[in-house]
Amino acid sequence: MFAYVVRRCFTGVIMLVVMSFVTYFLFFASPLDPGKFACGKSCPPALIKQTDKALGFDKPWPVQWKDFAVGVVKGRDYPEDPALRKSAPQLISHCSAPCLGYSQVNLINVTSELKDKIPISASLALVAFLMWIAGGISLGAIAALTKGSIVDRGVVGISLVFYALPTFWMGLFLIEFPAIKWGLVAVPSYTSIADGGVWGWLSNLFLPALTLALFYMAGYVRITRAFVLESMSEDYLRTAKAKGLAPRKILVKHTMRAALTPIVTLAGLDFAGLLGGAIITEQVFNFNGLGKLAVDSIQTFDLPTTLGLVLLLAAFVIVANIIVDILYAVIDPRVRVG
Amino acid sequence: MASYRTKALAVATAAALAATLAACGGGSSNANSNTKGGGTLTYYVRSAYEHTDPQRSYLGVEMTNFSRTVYRGLVAFPISSDPTVATTPVPDLATTTGTSTNNAKTWSYTIKNGVKWQDGKAITCEDFKYGASRVFATDVITGGPNYILTYLDIPTDAKTGLPAYDGPYKKDGQALFDKAITCSGNTITYHFKKPWPDFPEAIAALHMMDPYRADKDQGDKSNYQIFSDGPYELQGGTWSKETGGTFVRNPNYSASTDSPNVRKALPNEIIFKVGQTSEQITDQLVADAGPNKGAVTQQSIPSSKFSQVLGPVASRTVSVTSPYVDYLVLNFNRLKNLKVRQAIAMSTDDTAWVAAGGGPKAYKPATDIVSPLVKGYQANLFPGGSGNPAQAKTLLQSAGVKMPYPLTYTYPSTPTADAQARVLQSAWQAAGFKVTLQGVANSDVYYTNIQQPNQAADLIWAGWGADWPSAITVTAPLFDSRPNLTSKSNGQDYGAYKSDPFNALVDKAQNSSSLTDQTTFLQQADQLLAKDVAYIPLDIPIFYMIHGSEVLNYTNNAASNGYPDLGPIDVASSVK
Repeated sequence: MFAYVVRRCFTGVIMLVVMSFVTYFLFFASPLDPGKFACGKSCPPALIKQTDKALGFDKPWPVQWKDFAVGVVKGRDYPEDPALRKSAPQLISHCSAPCLGYSQVNLINVTSELKDKIPISASLALVAFLMWIAGGISLGAIAALTKGSIVDRGVVGISLVFYALPTFWMGLFLIEFPAIKWGLVAVPSYTSIADGGVWGWLSNLFLPALTLALFYMAGYVRITRAFVLESMSEDYLRTAKAKGLAPRKILVKHTMRAALTPIVTLAGLDFAGLLGGAIITEQVFNFNGLGKLAVDSIQTFDLPTTLGLVLLLAAFVIVANIIVDILYAVIDPRVRVG
Repeated sequence: MASYRTKALAVATAAALAATLAACGGGSSNANSNTKGGGTLTYYVRSAYEHTDPQRSYLGVEMTNFSRTVYRGLVAFPISSDPTVATTPVPDLATTTGTSTNNAKTWSYTIKNGVKWQDGKAITCEDFKYGASRVFATDVITGGPNYILTYLDIPTDAKTGLPAYDGPYKKDGQALFDKAITCSGNTITYHFKKPWPDFPEAIAALHMMDPYRADKDQGDKSNYQIFSDGPYELQGGTWSKETGGTFVRNPNYSASTDSPNVRKALPNEIIFKVGQTSEQITDQLVADAGPNKGAVTQQSIPSSKFSQVLGPVASRTVSVTSPYVDYLVLNFNRLKNLKVRQAIAMSTDDTAWVAAGGGPKAYKPATDIVSPLVKGYQANLFPGGSGNPAQAKTLLQSAGVKMPYPLTYTYPSTPTADAQARVLQSAWQAAGFKVTLQGVANSDVYYTNIQQPNQAADLIWAGWGADWPSAITVTAPLFDSRPNLTSKSNGQDYGAYKSDPFNALVDKAQNSSSLTDQTTFLQQADQLLAKDVAYIPLDIPIFYMIHGSEVLNYTNNAASNGYPDLGPIDVASSVK
């Protein structure tokens, strides 16, 4: 198991290096000039050139990539110009390893920037995840157990409706009606536990998490129902039933355990994806998480932030994959990693 | 410029930002001369501010809000619904609006006694000098207005093409700067290499010459730190790009050093809330509940919400002419035949364009690229109206070109812009053109595309707002080929217009020591642009704004760039 995890981690690091290289290449293949963005209005070419130099974009891109890689390992000091750092030490801001660069758009080092956003996206993902897993698996199991009944049809039908509704529609609906028009809840605004306590944190997450949960839950209802029904038709369950095992025990210990394996895979990857930011939901609710940052950084041609996000998201997915593989072995003893 | 439309297209953009000066009529409601002050005003802002550093701010709305709250300059624009008064500077931290000598190449100001920073220290001449010096640090202080680089009497480095002084951090060429801006006691004197007759207007509109405390300067790290010399100070000292900040009373501000014509500073607290969409902001202000009764916004009501603005809600709205002008640029690399350009102008249906854009609540027709009441505006430079496709067709036929004449029109694509493009297409096609529409969804990509020297579009949409109320900040930066056209980029001269007579008139305007002469030359230059059909004015966007029912003395005016003016605004007792 240990060797397996080490091997997977090593592969993951190689993937991250390649991804960072490709992102750099794509950025510099674009015709957009980052110096022009930062320079402001009415900038003559000489000033744009100077801005490019100040941002470090005047160097060949492989050199910039190398500087970035060194920064990840050793950390970096900004501004990059040694003469400027020497003459005006008050300007220096240190970016500790792993330094993912410095955003000239947001004027902050990317590592700090991501650290600020991760709690927001992680909170949203976590609450939404708990809601959809609890709702999706239990409703899916109920639908399977009541197959063909009104309950089954009702659950499946309603879940289909929520699945069909795009998250931006659901988000806008929840913010426009329950929050603004009906005044049932305040317009959500992310509040950390430190600032608002657990209730403040949770109550502000409720609507955006519900937006995500309703969408994901619908899929999980259908998947859980299908897997539970499939498990229920297995011979070993018929045997268990014939041997007089209590129905509850059959469901929890045998049926759900078998059905859970593929659901865990899916849930792991969905959760990892959401950790990287729920782009639409964060936009609708103005939650300044990783998703909103991703949109902003792409639109403002902010390479360091974009690169940091790509690497972070990739790392989430790689780690989630490893965890899912390990969980497989825990849930299903027949599976052995290594 | 990346205009208001750029901001509308992008959630956030770091593209070139337009500082604009309102050339507009004012709007006001809930006038109440018996206001006593106090309470909390909420100010909704949709898009994040890129900078709050005075030398880096370049958006009209940011500069306006901060002028009335935390940043004072030598002069300021007063609160007035009369656009002419509102764009005529009055003294702020200086005792007068300045004394000019040497054909407007030298300007002197004396700083008032008793003016202080938020920590109680006196504002000195050196603080003003330091503030101006920061603009020269083009490797650190990026994004702000840079006019001073070409005006201040400092030689240019032949190698870089930039001034030989590189700012207060590296200090190369410091002696040159010390000679160009001098302090004598409380009197500061600026020495320019060319006349700057509208220097007071420029520094009233822009914060580039505002004072800055050297001991507070940490370059980039200071970008969101606000150190006030105005009636308010920022709680915590650091602005949050994503959520805004709360301004509370500055205990070291003395109203006796200020004028109620510039700042009344009535609310005790102003909360800036950044980040909600225009629709969400409008919904909350329409609902008018709780603290939103005392709320204003810089966002126009989106057309999708027009239907909600009825009855009593409508009484809380104000329509103001924005400081922007939208226009079409004709690509001179492709449209070389004057008759073809004239036929395009003649067949442009401006009336249908405005209607497709949402009608009079959203736009009004423009007849000049210079906004009304900016010095140099000419009301009848272009005919506007519905155009005359039949006459245009005759003109096109006489041009000796193959018909239908192919045209490509490029614009930043939105549903509204698409609809507007289609009505233009229809009118042009009736005049014998075959029009291809090329909408570009990403506004940043759009502005990069239209600056390409070899671009394939014949007609290009653009928008612009003056930096201060003079045409010198409109036609010169947009059509003077010399600072714009290079082998790599057309700069802001998107249509690659190149005219020696035009450039000569710009030179004359830039070397005029009087505003009257300057304006005359700029009007002649604009007439030349119209004769050459270098552009076709389309519209002036309307700011259609709503505020809470308990907001008093609400006004949008020319001094505030058409946005809510925080100078006089108060909130009623129920939200105090």
